[in-house]
Amino acid sequence: MAHILVVDDDESFRLYLVTLLGQAGHTVLEADNGQSALEWCASAPVDLIITDIFMPKMDGIDLLAAVRADRPQVKVIAISGGYKAMSSRVTLEMATSFGAVDIINKPFQAGTVLQKVTRALESTDAEPIKDI
Amino acid sequence: METVSTYQELLDVQKLSEMKQELGDGFTTVVRHYQAGVLHRPERIRQAIRDQDAERVAMESHSLKSVCRQVGLARMGDMAAELESLGTAGNFEQAESLVERLIAASVTANQELTCHCAGIDLPRPFFEKGGRVSSP
Repeated sequence: MAHILVVDDDESFRLYLVTLLGQAGHTVLEADNGQSALEWCASAPVDLIITDIFMPKMDGIDLLAAVRADRPQVKVIAISGGYKAMSSRVTLEMATSFGAVDIINKPFQAGTVLQKVTRALESTDAEPIKDI
Repeated sequence: METVSTYQELLDVQKLSEMKQELGDGFTTVVRHYQAGVLHRPERIRQAIRDQDAERVAMESHSLKSVCRQVGLARMGDMAAELESLGTAGNFEQAESLVERLIAASVTANQELTCHCAGIDLPRPFFEKGGRVSSP
């Protein structure tokens, strides 16, 4: 089982994901912005990050860039429902170009999340998973 | 005039059942959290409208939309989506009317969630005539 960091400024989504992933046997950490997430990465083992894109202080794209630069072994799955003119598709495509290995649209199916988490953890590199 | 039929659409029981299966013992915790926090968010949107703060209206509505859709409160999610658009456009007049309906919906959704978690199926006499009856 893996160490997964869930990053979302919305506590409800965090709780949902933390509960779901914990139920699946993973050790789950949580942060409400990119900055706190980086602090977790510096102090605890993290195999995978699931991050929202639009967050205060440090957004998901900046977090992705920082993780890719400093901790390339950590895989990142981006999650978003879009915001204003930015559809979730556009947002998540941007996340992929910044190094996310996979993307998840909000609202999501729990089964989809678990499947993508498994695939991300099994993938051997930090390249995007092909069928996204 | 808003109709009671919206009440029927508030909870997606199928979605909640899926959640229950997926989250196991954590289901009740998640639902209680939604009841304690999320269902009060419409009041925050109302305050943002009163403050004529378009950015906050859009942001709060966006957040509520996502969460509602996640737990099967599709109708509330749609209302929040409309509020997000109204907020983005700075249309406070229409937003004010809509947020009152959203607040009413959240009260009903809260009751429905409580009953759902307790395994109580509430009688719904107002659905007898084709499931659509206007408010008094």
